[in-house]
Amino acid sequence: MAKHVTQNLALAFLAGIVLLAILAPVLPLPDPIAMDVMNRHGSPSFAHLLGADEFGRDTLSRIAFGARASLAVAFIAAVLAGVAGVALGLVGGYFGGWPEILAMRPLDVILSFPPMLLALLTVALIGPGTETLTVLLAVLFVPTYARVAFGETLSVRHHEYVEAARALGHTAPRILFRTILSNVAGPILVQFSLVVAACILLESGLSFLGLGVTPPESSWGLMIRGARPYMYQAPMQLLWPCLALVLTVYSVNRVCDMLRDRFDPKAAVLWFPAPRKTARAASPAAVPAMGKMLDVRGLVTEIATPRGVIRALDGVSFSVRPGETVALVGESGSGKSMTGLSIMQLLPRRVGRIAGGEILYAREGAERSGASAAAAVDLARIPAARMRAHRGQEIGMVFQEPMACLNPVYTVGFQLTEALRAHGRMTKAEARARAEEELRRVGIPDPARRLNDYPHQLSGGMRQRVAIAIALCGRPRLLIADEPTTALDVTVQAQILVLLDDIRKMQGIGLVFITHNLGVVAEIADRVVVMYCGQVVEDGPVEDIFYRPLHPYTRGLIASVPQDGGSADKSRQLFSIPGTVPNPLDLPPGCRFAPRCPEAIAACTKAPPAMEAAGAGHQVRCIRWREI
Amino acid sequence: MHYLARRTAVAAVTLLTVATLIFLLLHLVPGDPAEVLLSSGGMAPSHESVQALRLELGLDRPLGAQYASYLGRILQGNLGTSFQDHASISAEIAQRLPRTLELILASTALSLLVGVPAGLLAALRRGGFWDGLFASLASLGLSMPAFVTGTLLILLFSQTLKLVPAGGYVGFWESPGQHLIYLLMPAVSIAVGLIPVVFRMVRTSVLEFLEREWVRTARAKGLGERRVLTLHVLRNALSPVVTVIGLHLGTLLGGTVLVEYVFNWPGLSGMLVQAVEQRDYPAVQGIVLVICILFVLINLGVDVIYGLLDPRVRTR
Repeated sequence: MAKHVTQNLALAFLAGIVLLAILAPVLPLPDPIAMDVMNRHGSPSFAHLLGADEFGRDTLSRIAFGARASLAVAFIAAVLAGVAGVALGLVGGYFGGWPEILAMRPLDVILSFPPMLLALLTVALIGPGTETLTVLLAVLFVPTYARVAFGETLSVRHHEYVEAARALGHTAPRILFRTILSNVAGPILVQFSLVVAACILLESGLSFLGLGVTPPESSWGLMIRGARPYMYQAPMQLLWPCLALVLTVYSVNRVCDMLRDRFDPKAAVLWFPAPRKTARAASPAAVPAMGKMLDVRGLVTEIATPRGVIRALDGVSFSVRPGETVALVGESGSGKSMTGLSIMQLLPRRVGRIAGGEILYAREGAERSGASAAAAVDLARIPAARMRAHRGQEIGMVFQEPMACLNPVYTVGFQLTEALRAHGRMTKAEARARAEEELRRVGIPDPARRLNDYPHQLSGGMRQRVAIAIALCGRPRLLIADEPTTALDVTVQAQILVLLDDIRKMQGIGLVFITHNLGVVAEIADRVVVMYCGQVVEDGPVEDIFYRPLHPYTRGLIASVPQDGGSADKSRQLFSIPGTVPNPLDLPPGCRFAPRCPEAIAACTKAPPAMEAAGAGHQVRCIRWREI
Repeated sequence: MHYLARRTAVAAVTLLTVATLIFLLLHLVPGDPAEVLLSSGGMAPSHESVQALRLELGLDRPLGAQYASYLGRILQGNLGTSFQDHASISAEIAQRLPRTLELILASTALSLLVGVPAGLLAALRRGGFWDGLFASLASLGLSMPAFVTGTLLILLFSQTLKLVPAGGYVGFWESPGQHLIYLLMPAVSIAVGLIPVVFRMVRTSVLEFLEREWVRTARAKGLGERRVLTLHVLRNALSPVVTVIGLHLGTLLGGTVLVEYVFNWPGLSGMLVQAVEQRDYPAVQGIVLVICILFVLINLGVDVIYGLLDPRVRTR
């Protein structure tokens, strides 16, 4: 709110100053250069609203004419620089090759000078003056525009609408100035306001040094220069031009921010308030069911987006037994990754939050005896500090992009020993020895040498092995793997799957495997949880899901997997589910899959279906599962 | 090593370009260079004085020969003599350069000291009170030209409160305490414009890096929040900050010109303004050349720091 108030004030002030500058000659202002020695530093009066300066000249009038000088110089220079810079940038960006070198290279020379110095050098050569100053500022800011126009042109050059214009036989100039220019206008407008502000600053600075606008003409910089020696006797004479200058530049900057928000909607993001210190009230039966190590019940997770709050998870329930592999399956946006992040309390800060439900976790051995309250925790409610103790030691997590999940500025050894030392006290040498052992365990050859490598020196598969080593080095009992093989080559995928499965078998850990790849699920999972639009739609043993799928969505998913490598039976068309995932801000009222469902009837769109038991450990969210 | 060698080569080419441009500028201006230098306020100089200047600057020789001797001269560190008192320009610069460097270093250090913690805090409490306050102050700081800040500081702290001298200089070895007092206001004046730049960059890049996957990995490992923030967020977020400071160096150097003038700081810039006022072209040329060399060298330094911060750059 306050932002809009100051922005409107800035706009109003700017409009006022511009009007003052334009209308200065016709307003009933005293002559700005008429001296009146008797009225030196005259105090404000009806004739001189802001008083008079060291020569008895009217201050208000000098401010108005100063605005005229400053704004005219800045505006003309910014326009001249804009025209030249944009033209060069467009041509360089569109044609590339020699035109690019000819248009862009010479500009680098200008950039290798600090702007103020180039200005001073020129003034030393040809003397001060308003025209000199304008041309000079224009030259100085050509590269700024050219670079922006160049970059934007490069990025839109191969867009469809440009290709289309080319295919229509439009000439290059027409494409450049009609099609491309209209699309890069936003960033250039932002640049324009920046350049105006920079020009005003440079102009006033040079005038302040007595090297810009020449007396007796008025300029804010000159006024400050004139009033400086008398600042003790007449501080207001110094403050008025300072105020005019600072407020004008401030207003231009605010308008620039406004333009930027307008053209770059990414900047406007909605955030949740900072989390409260007090945890949400715990439910009475906060204990996992018998035999389960993880029992997620009715989990609701909200995500703030620029267009509103969405429920990324809406009542997700599933459970994991020790030593069991549970696959979370679904399309992108189904909420499977959000489930993993919610369990780890790693939702994006103040963008995602758990709004309901429980994530019950039983510590070592507790699940066998039927967990008592002391041995169980609700991960959705424990404070961040206690959650930290669970991360890495109770629950580990491996992420999708092995490229991005290791910090590029630290060695593998650093990142691994750091994790080891977070889990238990040990010396650096001990940690290093352990780190070597951990790398060997995940099948990395020559681990001692690899410890000194940076992530970018390793292959994708190696990086993922390192990530797995990091996740497992605290000996967690539960591992959440979020699409750990998606970014990898097929052969490497298989190796990583075997590695994860071996580790699960050897250590008896629970594995939550998040994937959209059903082929992988068949190889590794004991149970499958199918998700759609933030809800679980089917949950059952892997054999049931593959041989007796009940939900039409599950059937669609299975039918869309290529059989026998996809090539054996050419007559069989590869199936794909019609339609697209609905917009999370505008979900269908009844069953969320109904709009895409081949079996949907009128009742499906009336009320949201509930999960129904459909056999031993098999549940489905469909009102027609018995019939279809 | 490869990375450094390439950066150095680029710096060398830039330096040569800058030196050439400074040389050519005199000849690019329409009219006879000697006449241009001597004319002022529409008054034509006398024929004799133009001839004398031509001889003095060697303008009567062919352009190629002038260029060669110019380059040879500056390679030996000889920047010629001043029009005013025929004193050696190099010697004068050598005496004043460290003072300008000190000012730049002090204001950069000050900006980092204030801008980095403020940016971090604003990013962590985004949308909150401190974020709003710092953002407003930053927009204001960006709108304050260094000479206005300096002048207002003098008005407030020297003229009204009489806490610190309005300007001047004492060598560090003569009186360290007094030296730092004289340094304070000029450094603050420059920092007021630089702090917002650092602040904004730190805030943006911390916000960006907070959501990076390796930060998630670091949290998933069970690291403490402080370690995650300093080692995995801030450490990575500093690379763009270093780049931005490098990019703003040009503006920074412009700011020092004005600030040295405002505070009577006897650095390079004071000499430069005086030389421009007196249209002492050889002196202006020399100073601009030296500052540009400084500019290029500091940018090279920035590249080196960048390489140290990011191992990917080193091996690329």
